[in-house]
Formats: sequence, structure tokens, C-alpha cells
Amino acid sequence: MTTETTTVDAPQGRDLYRALVLKRQLILAALVLALFLSLCVDLALGPARFGLGEVVAALFTPDAVSQQARVILWEIRMPVALMALVVGASLSVAGAQMQTILSNPLASPFTLGISAGASFGAALALAFGVAIIPAAIEYVVPINAFVMAMLTAFLIHALSLKRGVTIETIVLLGIAMVFIFNSLMALIQFFASQQAVAAVVFWTMGSLTKATWPKLWVALGVLAAVLPLLARHGWALTAMRLGDAKAESMGVKPRALRLEVLVLVSLLAAIAVAFVGTIGFIGLVGPHIARLLLGEDQRFFLPGAALCGALILSVGSVLSKIIIPGTIIPIGIITSLVGIPFFLFLILSHKKASW
Amino acid sequence: MTAITSNEDLNMPKPLLKTAFATALALTGVTAQADEITVTDIAGREVTLEAPVERMILGEGRQIYLLGALQPEDPFAGVVGWREDFSQADPDNYAVYAERFPELEEIPTFGGFKDGTFDVEQAAALEPDVVLMNLEARTATEDAGYDDKLAELGIPIVYVDFREDPLAHTLPSMRLMGQLLGEEADAEAFIAFSEAQMARVTEVIADANPERPRVFIDRAGGYSEDCCMSFGPGNFGEYVELAGGSNIADGIIPNTFGSLNPEQILAADPEQVVVTGGNWDAYVPGGDWVGVGPGADMENARAKLEALTERTAMTGIAAVESDDFHAIWHQFYNSPYYFVAVQQLAKWFHPELFADLDPEATMQELHERFLPVDYVPGYWMSLHDH
Repeated sequence: MTTETTTVDAPQGRDLYRALVLKRQLILAALVLALFLSLCVDLALGPARFGLGEVVAALFTPDAVSQQARVILWEIRMPVALMALVVGASLSVAGAQMQTILSNPLASPFTLGISAGASFGAALALAFGVAIIPAAIEYVVPINAFVMAMLTAFLIHALSLKRGVTIETIVLLGIAMVFIFNSLMALIQFFASQQAVAAVVFWTMGSLTKATWPKLWVALGVLAAVLPLLARHGWALTAMRLGDAKAESMGVKPRALRLEVLVLVSLLAAIAVAFVGTIGFIGLVGPHIARLLLGEDQRFFLPGAALCGALILSVGSVLSKIIIPGTIIPIGIITSLVGIPFFLFLILSHKKASW
Repeated sequence: MTAITSNEDLNMPKPLLKTAFATALALTGVTAQADEITVTDIAGREVTLEAPVERMILGEGRQIYLLGALQPEDPFAGVVGWREDFSQADPDNYAVYAERFPELEEIPTFGGFKDGTFDVEQAAALEPDVVLMNLEARTATEDAGYDDKLAELGIPIVYVDFREDPLAHTLPSMRLMGQLLGEEADAEAFIAFSEAQMARVTEVIADANPERPRVFIDRAGGYSEDCCMSFGPGNFGEYVELAGGSNIADGIIPNTFGSLNPEQILAADPEQVVVTGGNWDAYVPGGDWVGVGPGADMENARAKLEALTERTAMTGIAAVESDDFHAIWHQFYNSPYYFVAVQQLAKWFHPELFADLDPEATMQELHERFLPVDYVPGYWMSLHDH
């Protein structure tokens, strides 16, 4: 009897598993499709009203269209639209892996102070013209932001290596960083001129209009380098979600893995924030949406998080252009205002506990 | 601006005011020529005080732009304290003033009312007859109760404004300060000059009703890598309309300040571009901003202005093709001398209509007749001048 039931159960289980994998693959495919559509809309919309034909012509035969159409599509719309995808994916993946390694649903590049550090670096440059690395003066703001973000990350790493530091302590350290940098930012704003304060405030709202082709290549290069490194640890990271003890019993070294992943995701977040300013919310919500749709299995969760983040920011980019035609509302405002109701809907409509 | 004019708006009950003034007079030893006057300030409040005032606190250092025209021989006479914003926001003019009047370095400075760093105790110790406050500081001042505290000390606040709405408020502010200082004639002379200079533009535009060129105001162009900050209907946006131009941000930027989508500039294809600039070396050293202003290095400014035409958002627009690409001192947005900016804009937009208008001469006359310092050129430049 017992042998009979197991022989019936095994194929059933296999079918269930296959169905589940198929469902998840379909969800990923749907996300890719939605992302492609959003990118097309982002490229097609703008204050210069081009017909769809002209947009397509400018994309595929740029030499055949007017200079105006070529510049608008290739130099203005394209870097912004692609930057939205790369930054969205970077922030979302960074948030996803921080949540995984810290076993904390609140972890994101923001909660660890990385964004706050970047803002502080940028504010130093915007308010007082301080260059942390006195080279490439035209890139002083992103370089300052990047350096401060990485310093923050390394400080947290260094502190987390001390004895008795648990993953809860790391989150607390991050929150302490956020408060320190917020106070330093306030201090800068207190001493800075009105004009400079306005520039700092605008920077912290986040804006994709800063995107240029060289920045896009750098951000894309980092994302392309980090994603395979994270994917390589996919199974180990999935095991980490069961707790350090269980993961260790499966042959994972939690501390070493945590350190490596923390460096990688800090790099991702720092680059993204340095180039476009602080865009809140994506690093927190992108991964949660992916988890609700796809579960914890890193084979699906990692690409899912990247796609969700890219999609949110791409849709945000479209909305930021069309709400007031002719002007661009800072993307950070849009993603929070539009994304959070959607996020609440997802959480409340989901019957099972997702974390 | 809704005027709130009622007796409740007085800072304090009259008997108390009188006692306080008596005390203040006794303390400062002012002789009894002062008369009690009632003025209506820019916030629409009725304020009763003894005039002419002898001791003033400037709630904003740049009020010296107005005050200087009323007492050109000694603009800092009677200034017992001021806010430290002049040296930061307008370093070039501060240097001109500091060279001529070195005593200004000795005047006690205050934090801003707006950011809540004003020290009432310090103000009281200076025993001013009046505190001149900028209109935008009103909410913060009343929120912190500075007005009540100062009123209890018998120190009235008078609000002036040449920034929130320069066109509507600058001249009334001038008149108000003339009343306070007992220099009504000087104030009226400045007002007449300002109105006459403005009319030289507005009357010609009204008569000729020329076709209005599309104008893009590039607010602080090159200051940051973001393109493209501009002005909506207020301030420089209004100057452009008065000078016979059509602001391409009109109907897009709802308020005075805002940003345009770079693509919008290509789509609007402006025929004139006006970059506002200034010496921002303290904020963005070596930045792409155009450093026009008193005593500017014009060759450097020209090179930077030329570099700004290379930005993506400027590709192939009419203004670049025709070299109608200009730079003007950014602080005109916040200066009682804005009428000179309007003249220069008009000359750029309609060179044939304003062939005999010479804004340099206007600036020269303004300084010679009214201001305590000499005119130092460098406030504007154009790629059109070769």
C-alpha cells in the first residue's frame, strides 16, 4: 500500500512542481512584455508630438529623419528611458538581496544609510563645491555621492565583523547611519545659500533627466557584472531565508556570503543613486512585488525583482512626463505616490502572509 | 496679495506702544523732533511709529539696494544690525560696497527669520526703532511670535518686498522706506526714474505691438547638470512679456519657478535664449555657469555662454542658429533695479525698435544719481555682439 501511494505521489509532485515552474516562467515572460510596452510608450511620448511612424523611423533609420527628431529620440528620450530600466532594476535587486541576507522585510538601500550617504556627498558638492576626489570636476556630484555611499557600506561591513554583531544589529547600524547623515544634511542646508538648498532638495527628489549615454553605460556595466555574481549564489541565498543555522547545515557559509553580497548590492545601489539622485521606494517595494508574484526561489526571485523594479521606474518615467506636459515631475515623487497605493493593494489582497 | 488692514493688525495696544517709545527715547537720547506717523506696509498692516527712524535692523541685508538710494552718502547710517545674506548671495556687489564703506563689516549680523535663527534678545539689545522685514519672512516671523515679542519691547516690524513680486512691490517698498526715514523726496525721485525707464520700454511695445519672439529663460543655466530650469509667469517671465517677448514656459510652469522638459525646448524652438548667471564660484567652483555681474571677466563669460549652446536641448534651435543667445545677471530677479533688465531684454528682442535705448547709460545714470557706489559694468552679454 505504502509503496503504491508514494509511486502515485511522486509524479503528482513532479507535475505540481512543473506547473509551478511553468507558471513562474509565464509570470516572468509577462513582466518582460509589460516592460517592453512601457519602454515603447516612454520613447513615443513627449512634448514634441511625433507620429508613431516618425518615432519608428528615427529609431531604425536615424539618418533619414530630421535632426530635431533624431536628437529628441536618441539624446533626450532614449537615455532617460533606458536609465529608468537600469536604475529600477539595480535598486530593486539591491533591495531584494539586502532583504534576503538580513532576513528583514524592511531592508533596502535606504534603511542601510547608503542613499543617505550618497545624498550627503552630493549635498557637499552642491552646497559648498567640496570634491571628495578632486578629479573630473564635471562629475563631482555623482562621484561624491558614490564615494560616500560606498564609505557608508564599508563602515557597516567593518562594524558587522565585530564579535556579537547579529543581523538585527546590522539593520540598527544602518538606521543609525540614516540619522547621522540626515543631521549632517540639515547642517549643510542650514549653512548653505537658498539657491544651493534648492539644488540639494531637487537632487534628493531624484530625477532621470540627469541621464546621459556615458552614465547609462557605467550603470548598465555594473548591473551586468553584478547580476551573474548574485545568480551564482542563487541556491545559497535561497537557503539563507531558512535561517543561518539551517543554511549552515546545507554547507552555506552565512557570514562570508553576507559580506560578499553586501559589497555587491552596495555597489549597485551607490551607482544608481549617484547618477539619478535618491529614488525612494523601489528598493523596498520592487522585491516585495516580485516575492508576492514569484516566491523566494532565487532562480525566479532575482530576475523577477529586477524586472519589477525596472517596470515600476519605467511606468513612473512615463507618468512624470504626461502629468504636466512640457515639464518633468521628479521621478522620486511619482514612484512613491503612484507605487505605494498599488503596493498596499497587493499586500492587502494577498491572503497568505508573504514574509 | 490680499491686504489685511485693520486695527487688530497693530502689533500692540497704543498705550503700551507709547510707553515703550518713551522708554526707547529715554534710552537712546533721541531728541523730540520725531513725529508719530502711521504707514501701511507691504503686508497691508497699519503700523504706527515715530519717524524719522534713527536705528534700523534690516531683516534682509539686500534691503540696502533700496536704502542706498535714500541715503547715498552714508547708506549704512542708522543700520544697527542686519541679516548676513548680502555677502553670500551677491558677493560681487558686496565687494563694491565693502570697499567704499568698510564700516559695513562691523555691523552686527543676524540669522534669518525664515529659518528661525533670529535672536530676539540680540535685536532688543540693539534698541532699534524699527525692524524692516522681507515679506516672505512673515509667516515664519508670526509663527515664532517674534512680532509679539518685539511689540512688547516697543519695536515695530515693517514688511517690505522686492522679491516675491518685484513689479508690484518694489516701488511701494521704496515709498514706505522714504516715509520711515523722512526722505520722501528722494524716494519719489527714484520711483519717478524707475517708472520713466520702464515706460521707455512698455510704451514702445504698446504702440508698435511687434510680433513677439519665443523666448526661453535658462534660469542659472550651467549651474547644475540638469537642464532646464526656467521661470513661469512671474519674475523674469514677467520681464520677458514686458519686453515684448513670449515666454515658452508660459502655460507649462504654473508658478514663478519650475523646470522644463529638455525636449520641450526643442519642440518650442525658441528664437531668443536668455541665460541668467552670476558668480557662483563659492557654490559650484569651475562650473558651467556664466559669471556675469559687476566686474565680470567677459571673455570667460563668453566662452561659457558659447559652451552652453552645445547642450543637447539647444541642438538646432533658432536662437543658436542666429546667435540670439544672451546672458544676464541672475540677481535682477531679486533687485529693485529690474527695470534695467527689462530694457536690455527689449533691446535684444526688438533691436530695431529700441535702437536708441542704451541700458548701459540707464545703469550709469542710476548709479550716478541715486546709488552710493559707482557703476561697474559686466551685467550682461550676448553672442550677437562680435
